[in-house]
Amino acid sequence: MKKQVFDVCIVGTGAGVMIDQLTAAGFSVVALERGPYIPPGEFDDDELRNSVRDLVFSADQQETFRHFEHEVAQPGKIADIGQCIGGSMTHWAGWSWRFRPDEFKVLSTDGPVEGASLADWPVDYAEMEPYYQRAEWDFGVSGLAGSNPYEGPRKKAYPNPPHPHRVGSLKFEKGAKTLGYSPFPVPLAINSQVYGNRPACVHGGACRAYGCPIGAKGTTYSVSIPRAHLTGKLDLRPNARVFDLPIENGRLTGARYFDQRGDEQQVWARQVIVSAGTVGTAQLLLMSRSGSFPKGLSNNSDQVGRHYSFHHHPSAIAYFDEDLHNYTGVETRSAIDDLHPSDSSRGFIRGGVIAELNTFTHQPIMHALAATPAELQGAWGSSLKEHITDFTRTLTIAGICEELPMADNRIDLDPTHTDRFGLPLARITKRQHPNDVAMYRWYEKKIMELAEAAGARRVVPGRVPGVHIGDGDHQSGNAHNHGTCRMGDDPSQSVVDRWCRSHEVPNLWVVDGSVMPTNGGYNPTLSILANAYRVADYFIGEANRLSV
Amino acid sequence: MSNSISRRSFLSKSSIYGGALAMSVKLPLAEAAAKLSTGPEVINAGQWRTIEAMTARVIPTDDQPGALEANCVNFIDKALANEEAAAAAGVLQGLSLLDRLCETHYGRPFVGLEAAQQDAVLSSLQAGTAQPWATDDPLSGDFFEVIRSLTIIGFLAEPKYGGNADMVGWKVAGYPGPRHHGGGYSPEQMIGEEAIITVWGEKL
Repeated sequence: MKKQVFDVCIVGTGAGVMIDQLTAAGFSVVALERGPYIPPGEFDDDELRNSVRDLVFSADQQETFRHFEHEVAQPGKIADIGQCIGGSMTHWAGWSWRFRPDEFKVLSTDGPVEGASLADWPVDYAEMEPYYQRAEWDFGVSGLAGSNPYEGPRKKAYPNPPHPHRVGSLKFEKGAKTLGYSPFPVPLAINSQVYGNRPACVHGGACRAYGCPIGAKGTTYSVSIPRAHLTGKLDLRPNARVFDLPIENGRLTGARYFDQRGDEQQVWARQVIVSAGTVGTAQLLLMSRSGSFPKGLSNNSDQVGRHYSFHHHPSAIAYFDEDLHNYTGVETRSAIDDLHPSDSSRGFIRGGVIAELNTFTHQPIMHALAATPAELQGAWGSSLKEHITDFTRTLTIAGICEELPMADNRIDLDPTHTDRFGLPLARITKRQHPNDVAMYRWYEKKIMELAEAAGARRVVPGRVPGVHIGDGDHQSGNAHNHGTCRMGDDPSQSVVDRWCRSHEVPNLWVVDGSVMPTNGGYNPTLSILANAYRVADYFIGEANRLSV
Repeated sequence: MSNSISRRSFLSKSSIYGGALAMSVKLPLAEAAAKLSTGPEVINAGQWRTIEAMTARVIPTDDQPGALEANCVNFIDKALANEEAAAAAGVLQGLSLLDRLCETHYGRPFVGLEAAQQDAVLSSLQAGTAQPWATDDPLSGDFFEVIRSLTIIGFLAEPKYGGNADMVGWKVAGYPGPRHHGGGYSPEQMIGEEAIITVWGEKL
């Protein structure tokens, strides 16, 4: 039998714009996903299964983690990501920002900072703008154009209007206005009306960490993959754990993977696009060793896995006297951006957006377990019961704050721990830059002031003792993963070029959050999607030269 | 947004329970077990009564229902038989250490103590000051934390898992229950202009 050679092999199905765009352009695509396909009927609001036990979206996921190179990394689930058809977007909450123009040019804007590996993106906002627009219109983003005074210029409004308020978001906006801020509706890739043959959100409350039971969320799962299926050009393979990208005569031949039974399989393709996520992509390249790439694929400059960043999240929990109805609605309704612009006179550079959110306040178990005020850690008896009765009266306000990348914050392969296939776990080594800590402390104060201005009877910092992804007295987030395969013009300082094509292997592409040189003060997904549209356009334009 | 108050980290502390409460995936779900049985699965009748008494101190009954009314012990039993099976041996060992502790100090097992005595014992477990207690696993604080966490989960998880009987946990929390499949909420309900209807049919 003649072996089938696909035009394109895509590893990973999160942010699946490439799957959609390349099948639409007529290329044959095989997409390999390490996680399962979850039928839509399995998406529900069951907090224990989805959120507490995390059995749905990334049941097998494990990494190891340490802060410093001299420490032994300990295994656990660290990165808050989805490993299933559609990747993390399947359980995301839809926050859909455009980065501001300066967020693509941090090094030029703020200058070098000791200990940080700042770099400009090789593209700018003007180049990204039309692709942001495409992402907004494909995924049905709701929002109000012009309502965020700090946003870059846009040529077209959002396709859908903002989502309705709940009591908690009205409190937030009142507090923000009292302090002279300009609150606005958070842009969300969640249908606020029927759009794209998908229904309108019913505001059932469970967004982040849940699959949408009605498909109102704009995701790879609900938008890109169904469209790709209709072309007849997509061969979608769940439960396919890619462990090697074999190379012959300087070109990749495809991918080798373990199927669900643990049997080894292989596919052949002319072009290989790795979209396995910031952790998974670096891990796969580092596992793919050969004579010409003894340190891992496309890693002869020792850049794969480096500059790994999250966001950090200064936050406050505000207690009110009334039911805020935070178990209703989208995860976040309202935000302010007034504190976001970089201002080194504050003692740090960069910043972030601040929003109200119901991450814990739509989930009674997580609310009770997280028990944010320090004195309630481990609470039981009457103090625990009182905390439980405060469930509907609490409001969370948090920042999505830019972290400075550091070269030694990285993904590599754990020397000890392996997964069920015997593959080395990704090892995370990550600590905070002093700039992050200074920003965190400053923002935490501002957020607590905002919570007080909103009328809270009591405000506590949103820290959870005993849970430290950040080191020291503040916490880093774990859902927004960036860096590890930077795009850039200089092959000694980056892994892929401005078109996300490897500097070292001509038919290898990386299209996901790992190419981001810096991480902005906003949730990254819309930028990842927009960049994928940009790369897809280039790829299609180059098709003749790519022999696809 | 992301958060590090992660659903993933709340219980990955101890060696003997290590990660069991967050990670055991391949086992049959307690939901099925809860349908089949309302009696003890992995614990005997005496252990059932001891855990039940512990849960009653973790979420006490006052003018509102507590862990007793929610039948948290049934949830814990089903969980230990299924998703949290890796923690079961540690719990059973902890229970016998607990009774030895109570016999030493009070001449009675845990269930025979007054509420204030029970609270004192549980405080010593949590603080790691209980004596006598084995110096090796299970650590008394870890044992208590497993019971405490599972009591909370049993109080507030969907009733199909065997706890939150009659949705009393949700009623105490003021939570109307999951409404995604029931039509969600209207904009008027979200801002308090119209009453919210709970999944058990009452107005909030």
